[in-house]
Amino acid sequence: MSAEMKSQDSDNDSDYDQSDHMDEDEEDFCGYYDNDTDDLDIDRPKKTDDPEYFEYELLKVEDVERLLNEDVEFLCSCLKVDPHLAKMLLQVHQWKKEFIMERYKKDPAKFLVDSKITPAVKYKSAPLGVQNTCSVCCRKLPSDYFCHLSCGHVFCRECWDNYFQVQILQGVTSGIECMENNCHILVPEDFLCRSLSKPELRDKYTKLSFLDLVNTHPQLRFCPGPNCSNVVRAKDTRSKKVDCAQCKTIFCFGCGMEYHAPTDCATIRKWLTKCADDSETANYISAHTKDCPKCHVCIEKNGGCNHVQCTKCKNDFCWMCLGDWRTHGSEYYECSRYKENPNIANESVHAQAREALKKYLFYFERYENHAKSLKLEEQTLSKITTRIQEKVMINSGTWIDWQYLLDAAVLLKKCRYTLQYTYPYAYYMEKTARKQLFEYQQAQLEAEVENLSWKIERAEITDRGDLENQMDIAEKRRQTLLKDFLEF
Amino acid sequence: MAGLPRRIIKETQRLMQEPVSGITALPDENNARYFHVTVIGPKESPYENGTFKLELFLPEEYPMSAPKVRFLTKIYHPNIDKLGRICLDILKDKWSPALQIRTVLLSIQALLSAPNPDDPLANEVADAWKSDESQAIETAKAWTQKHAI
Ligand SMILES: [Zn+2]
Ligand SMILES: [Zn+2]
Ligand SMILES: [Zn+2]
Ligand SMILES: [Zn+2]
Ligand SMILES: [Zn+2]
Repeated sequence: MSAEMKSQDSDNDSDYDQSDHMDEDEEDFCGYYDNDTDDLDIDRPKKTDDPEYFEYELLKVEDVERLLNEDVEFLCSCLKVDPHLAKMLLQVHQWKKEFIMERYKKDPAKFLVDSKITPAVKYKSAPLGVQNTCSVCCRKLPSDYFCHLSCGHVFCRECWDNYFQVQILQGVTSGIECMENNCHILVPEDFLCRSLSKPELRDKYTKLSFLDLVNTHPQLRFCPGPNCSNVVRAKDTRSKKVDCAQCKTIFCFGCGMEYHAPTDCATIRKWLTKCADDSETANYISAHTKDCPKCHVCIEKNGGCNHVQCTKCKNDFCWMCLGDWRTHGSEYYECSRYKENPNIANESVHAQAREALKKYLFYFERYENHAKSLKLEEQTLSKITTRIQEKVMINSGTWIDWQYLLDAAVLLKKCRYTLQYTYPYAYYMEKTARKQLFEYQQAQLEAEVENLSWKIERAEITDRGDLENQMDIAEKRRQTLLKDFLEF
Repeated sequence: MAGLPRRIIKETQRLMQEPVSGITALPDENNARYFHVTVIGPKESPYENGTFKLELFLPEEYPMSAPKVRFLTKIYHPNIDKLGRICLDILKDKWSPALQIRTVLLSIQALLSAPNPDDPLANEVADAWKSDESQAIETAKAWTQKHAI
């Protein structure tokens, strides 16, 4: 955005119409994630229309503690057990209350054995005399220096203390078992805390144990944002999008990584591992400059849009494939589709390996390029903000008048983000009719995203109605793709 | 041996007085936590007749954490890597303070009799073991001849 923005003062009437229209659009775009309440049709709520809809709440540490305590208390009163036992059962069984109640009520003794809380057979040690040898430290000590868990394996208090210290210093706070070899009885929290002699380790235990509780609780996940202590709670534990209100990090509830629709958690993990393993092979791709395929002048890409126009010969070409941009119209968009060698099965092992690498690099290059474009478009967004600021200062329209440009930039980011994550998805897809449909929709989204990007970069010469129309089309393409392929 | 925990003293004494057959473990002159170990390759294993040198070190936290053990003699085994590191559960998460140097060395001896390619540390060796066991055993025998006799 370098030239003057189009002034809105000249045509007041049409401006009015457009703002009205804009309000509706804004509902569609910006209110997408939170408009489940204002729908009157209860049988078919609006949220089912949004493939990314996800119900969750953001909790503070205190909220989480309260929530977990409520679960413990609930179980205490239902099963008539003490809080330590209730908490232990919840921890062992990933806080599945219903499951615990059902199994406990059926056969409490067996359930406690299955939960590694009580032993199937209690170990009968020789009765403690006045002096006894601890089998771990080999010291002779009076009988009141000894204690044991429900299994009956006796060790001295100092050994228990040392044992727990080492575990905590190694970061282990859950699943700590009896010291005896092959005894899997779990150490109850109160036993551990009573045994620990160092108060600072007790604090460390409390902290680590809380992290552990959240990490193993299927309905909870820490926000991965730097220095953010928020916890997300969701009933539905799938790979869905979470937007942390505090630190603005957007992440996947399922795996805690960067949000990655339409790719699922397992696939994105595979993809990221592959990218890390093959980072050397893929390194050469990071080119910021390319030569114009027509006049060969060196062109630097400084915007996110992959529809690039040569500054010298005005040739319109595609940054990805260097092909003529005219062949990238939505009807004929082949750039995102990898054409496999149909005869590859009959080729040599060497040729197959080369083909596999070629295929990976094709998808990686596009995935990586969208990530880069996203960064560049971040700069565009800040430029737009500055431009609007200037405009408003010289009374050329108000913030509200220019809001649509910011909305367009935000929407572009959202669409390109989804587009980026279509590439790992496509890479791992079997060659089926479904893949053809996916690639068709991906190509459609690809074309509309670049059109939108092109128009935003030239906002001063783009008609507002035209831009809003383009926003609408791009978001519809994105929604269509997600609706058909976001299914975990 | 000043400052050495009673537990280590006891174990060392017992290792000297009642040695385990096929295994020797001698504490270093200068460091009572460091042991020079030899394990004789078990009968009817590809390591038969071989004498394998190992080092064993008792860390500060011992027996709350496991001893550190490593093969010094080169060995072709799916659970032992190039650096001599051993993949054995009791040396990792299955360690119990009630286990001893003696039990650890016995477990290592048993591992030589029964390699476990499904829980590998040396991937190429494990793959070889799974795809052609008799060939892998031949290689293990050859390595034993070359490095351990
Ligand atoms: Zn003791
Ligand atoms: Zn026990
Ligand atoms: Zn956050
Ligand atoms: Zn995920
Ligand atoms: Zn292209």
